Amino acid sequence: MNIKECYQMMNGDYDGVISRLIKEERVKKFVLKFLDDPSYQLLCTSLENCQYEEAFRASHTIKGICQNLGFTQLYFSSNELTEKLRNHDYDNLDGLLEKVKENYQEVICAVEKLR
Amino acid sequence: MDNHLKIKKKILIVDDSEMNRMILSDILEEFEIFEAKDGLEAIKILQKMSRDLSLVLLDIVMPSMDGFGVLEVMNKRHWIEDVPVVMISAESSSSVIEKAYELGVTDFISRPFASSIVYRRVNNTIMLYAKQKKLVGMVTDQIYENERRSRLMVAILSHIVEFRNGESGAHVLHVQVLTDLFLKRLVNKTNQYQLDTAQISLISMASALHDIGKIGIPDHILNKPGKYTDEEFAIMKTHSDLGAKMLAEITEYRDEELMHRAIEICHYHHERYDGKGYPDGLKGEEIPISAQVVSLADVYDALTSERVYKKAFSHEKAIEMILNGECGAFNPLLLECLKDVEDEMKNIRQGNALHHGIDKEITKIADTLHHHEELSSADRAIELLEYERKKYEFFAAMSQEIQFEYIDKPPMLTFSRWGSEKLNLEETIMNPMNDEKLIECFGKENLLKFIHELNKTTKQKPVVQFEFEMGDNEHKRWKKVIAQTIWSSDDTSRYIKFFGKIMDVHEQYTELTNLKQLSSHDGLTGLYNRQMAEHMIIEKMNMRPESQFAFITFDIDNFKCANDQYGHMFGDKVLKQVSKNLLASIRSDDIAARVGGDEFVLFLEYKSSLEKIVDRIFNNLNTQYKDFQISISMGIAKSIDIGNDYQLLYHLADCALYTAKQSGKGCYCMYDESMKDALLETAMEE
Repeated sequence: MNIKECYQMMNGDYDGVISRLIKEERVKKFVLKFLDDPSYQLLCTSLENCQYEEAFRASHTIKGICQNLGFTQLYFSSNELTEKLRNHDYDNLDGLLEKVKENYQEVICAVEKLR
Repeated sequence: MDNHLKIKKKILIVDDSEMNRMILSDILEEFEIFEAKDGLEAIKILQKMSRDLSLVLLDIVMPSMDGFGVLEVMNKRHWIEDVPVVMISAESSSSVIEKAYELGVTDFISRPFASSIVYRRVNNTIMLYAKQKKLVGMVTDQIYENERRSRLMVAILSHIVEFRNGESGAHVLHVQVLTDLFLKRLVNKTNQYQLDTAQISLISMASALHDIGKIGIPDHILNKPGKYTDEEFAIMKTHSDLGAKMLAEITEYRDEELMHRAIEICHYHHERYDGKGYPDGLKGEEIPISAQVVSLADVYDALTSERVYKKAFSHEKAIEMILNGECGAFNPLLLECLKDVEDEMKNIRQGNALHHGIDKEITKIADTLHHHEELSSADRAIELLEYERKKYEFFAAMSQEIQFEYIDKPPMLTFSRWGSEKLNLEETIMNPMNDEKLIECFGKENLLKFIHELNKTTKQKPVVQFEFEMGDNEHKRWKKVIAQTIWSSDDTSRYIKFFGKIMDVHEQYTELTNLKQLSSHDGLTGLYNRQMAEHMIIEKMNMRPESQFAFITFDIDNFKCANDQYGHMFGDKVLKQVSKNLLASIRSDDIAARVGGDEFVLFLEYKSSLEKIVDRIFNNLNTQYKDFQISISMGIAKSIDIGNDYQLLYHLADCALYTAKQSGKGCYCMYDESMKDALLETAMEE
């Protein structure tokens, strides 16, 4: 699978990321790197332990990375979660978290195929 | 210049996400990249490198200290003035962006960022700052250049006067150098005149114009070789007022301080401190200090230079004449200055530097400036700072002292390089009170004590010092710490910084302890000596006034015989044995002393039967040394009978000892009232 197909599979913004990072090689390098990024794990555990400040930062980081790498779906869901956490609105987080988890799995599935 | 370009510029990337840092480093691969994963790490790196960094890329949302926190510290420590910050964030609300700009960021890039934009903006910012630094440098250089030009103009003007005047061309320069010398000495002696370096420089420059009024004096009078008639002298005297008027008429520069000073000097440099000078007959401090100083310099130089009508006097003669008041009346403080700087004056004369002094300096500065144009003043300042830093580091290492400094916000402790190596700790430690390595190194108790002492300081009494022991058990050493707290000017409730040093005082300290031991103990037996015993006994009674004490004195029967029969060495050994047995029979807080010859004192606290205790000690002391049977006589006085009075206890214990001796030696005796009468009788009989 090439990088373009990978983005199609996760419903991401390939054109956007190429216009920002220019080189396909660079995009691929960082997309693969995303597999090692600890923010997602941090988000899940901190939410489980009700450490909302930590969760906010983790979610914020995921959002930033996704925005840069054009992982559009995960960007939308993590952005929504980030804003909720920023406003200290800690009710009904489960649904949003589920959405983030779902989008994360989509990204991971597609990226795994790149390897 | 090419070399400069080849050095990679340094950029600090501050972002808690490793991914983001990697992407940015990738985009900015042509720079040397430093990374920090949160605000505190960023501060550490900034503290170390500050002005070496060309740019900081800063994220906002981060753990332990966020981007705004970093900016606040950068503002407080003035790093923001030299190191541009570009903020990168997904935050897009205008209030956040506004706050970032308010805190001094140069640019704000929002996510998602495009590589080309990041690259361009980083480059632009760095170039902008480089240009600004260069401009600052150019402006500073321009100021140097202007100053050089004004000095040149002043020099030309004053030479014209001298040329007409037929004086040696160096007079003006002499006066200038001397004025400078006197003024610098004067401000060391008194605050009375409120002169700073810039003003001193202005006055010495203006001093060159002191005789400018002579331009207006007719040639035949000015250059007359013989003595002036009264009339001629009257004309000559107008030169001071004339000079001042000439200058005052140059209205264009009326507001220049140089002009004010020059007018002042022209007008008043022939006034005398006693009020007998001209043109206005001002007295004492009515005469501006600039004119007072120039007048002294003028007189000295006139004396030591050759003129048509006189030979040059020696330096010594000139000083003598001035001090004797033969050449005018001067401010006594100035005369002191004259005496103070005599050596320097001689040096200057011998080195013939008077002829060139200032000019040389100007030429040197100007030359340096012109031959190294790329070396701007800003760079020079940085070089100087770097030089100071190196020097400081060197001396810190040479001194074998561990130096440290601490700032409050964020809590950060910094050791000198030598110190950090010696302690095997990081040079910079964040949150030091939670740092395990630091705690392990110094010991928690020592640190707590240090903080406790620091908390006791005040703005008025900011210095702390004490000694402490540190190191592992086998290598414990005594150290001394001295530190000073620094307080902010507006908030006096808490100090904001401290700095200080730790010295190794192990040798001095142990020596001191030995000396204390020597001065408080009897050299032969190791027991306390008389003074120490007295001191300790009194202290003990004061501390525990309700307790029961026994004061015991004893000596060795027939000790003199032992000495005579077996020699003094033998006698010493007997004393040692008795002391050893004594120490073995008492508790550690009992006080045992040898108070002279074979006399001992023992002071102890008891709760139950004193008799039993004394019995045991007494028996332990009656032993044998070689052929000599050691027999003891002992007297005891109890505080419960007598009160806590050292002198009285001693005296009455002695009485009891006397009684013991009387009743055949080799026994002990407790004091009671009956002895008093017996003693009195004996005393009467004797």
